[in-house]
Amino acid sequence: MTELIVVDRVDKRYATSSGPVDALRGVSLGVGAGEFCTLIGPSGCGKSTLLGMLGGLVHPDAGRIVVDGRPVEGPDPRRAATVFQDPGLFPWRTTLENIEFGLELQGVPRARRRAVAQELLAPLGLRDFAAKYPRELSGGMRQRVAIGRALAIDTPIVLMDEPFGALDEQTRLLMGEWLLDVWRRTRKTVVFVTHSLHEALALSTRVIVMTARPGRIKSVIELPLPYPRAMESSELVTLRAKLWSEIREESLRAMGET
Amino acid sequence: MTVVVLRVLIVVAVLLGWEIAGRLANPLLYVPPSAAVPALRDLLALRSYPDFPEHLLLTLREIAVAYGLAIAAGVGCGAALGLNRLVGRAYGPILAALYAVPAVVWYPSLMLFFGLDAASKIAFGFLLGFFPITLAVLAGIRQVNPQLITVARAFGASRLTVFRKVMLPAMLFTLVGGLRTGLALAVIGVIVGEVLGSKAGLGSLINHAYGLFRTADYVALVLVTLALIVACDAVASALERRAQRWTHLQ
Repeated sequence: MTELIVVDRVDKRYATSSGPVDALRGVSLGVGAGEFCTLIGPSGCGKSTLLGMLGGLVHPDAGRIVVDGRPVEGPDPRRAATVFQDPGLFPWRTTLENIEFGLELQGVPRARRRAVAQELLAPLGLRDFAAKYPRELSGGMRQRVAIGRALAIDTPIVLMDEPFGALDEQTRLLMGEWLLDVWRRTRKTVVFVTHSLHEALALSTRVIVMTARPGRIKSVIELPLPYPRAMESSELVTLRAKLWSEIREESLRAMGET
Repeated sequence: MTVVVLRVLIVVAVLLGWEIAGRLANPLLYVPPSAAVPALRDLLALRSYPDFPEHLLLTLREIAVAYGLAIAAGVGCGAALGLNRLVGRAYGPILAALYAVPAVVWYPSLMLFFGLDAASKIAFGFLLGFFPITLAVLAGIRQVNPQLITVARAFGASRLTVFRKVMLPAMLFTLVGGLRTGLALAVIGVIVGEVLGSKAGLGSLINHAYGLFRTADYVALVLVTLALIVACDAVASALERRAQRWTHLQ
């Protein structure tokens, strides 16, 4: 498997009012093409920072990030698209216009980008909501529009920062199933940040557990299991227990620190 | 419909009251509508002031220049203050404090600097119009949801594109509100400036009529000024409603 994303000994420190905070220290990892790689860890472990770096929104203090053979120097909408926890839809744009946003920035002609957005509506489950504004949509729909906006620019990589974190549990489960379906059809490389054990185990080909601050990689769990996954199978129950014990340790440390 | 009826009713009542009171008291001081209407006719037929169109045109030109300058400077300053946190923190409060000063105290200085001609009126209209526009741009930029800016950047937007595609639409309603207030104040500034001291323009005619005790002509001129202001504000308010409808889609 070729490594599409390479993170090489990356450090990140933030200046805060109470002194510098080490967000990431010496993080290295590789993500292969077509993987669904999940970053999980306690709050403040720097997983969102790491994802921000992959998307070019955050710059590392040390180390190097290479995506698709070239170092990351800033946001590059030809290599990676990002979905955030707050969907950040433009309230004055309809569903279609929001999905077209990235293509519009790239100067794709109107008719062409409209066609791309139209085509995405059905898989997004938004066919009847093309002309609606974000305030008229439910939370799950809004996040699907944001995912559509990311898919529209058809990058090899999609970065997702707790995309379902603000949704209720039932919507969240359904969105997970839906995303799995999309990922399996498009074969994009996904890097996914989550707090949810369930999401990590149901979706990922690999789970990366990060330590409490400063964020390092604690362990990597490979999940070469077929989809859809029966979460109550003995294999997944065992994996869940293992994953939880790893995260629990770090979460306790993170809680003790604050 | 009822609203219209009620409005007409109050106008009729006021005019009627004015007519009666004016006649009972002193028609010269309290010019009743029956005297104002012929005076207005004389004014518009260029009998009382044959050069009325030139004066009106001058006033309109002064307003246009003052307002244009206020928009350019207001949007520029507002953007500079809003987009740069340091500049905004340093100068924002000064601006707000200056806005609180009754602007008319500056007018004597403006006349000393710019003389009695159009320049001092333009300067005063500009001064009045500038503040609400600047503060609206500043407030508009500050209320833009930062997540929208992050998203745009993630999709590769440059600073200019972020301003055009995210900030401008997000702050449109606030901006248009500021532009409307700015226009009203620019009009007031120019006319007040003319009344306080000038050789030409609507305000100078008002002063002239008033000074010569031509009270009916004075009232006619005031009515024209009123119509001018109402017309300006009607255009601005129509634009504001469009922006509001658009923004309320949010």
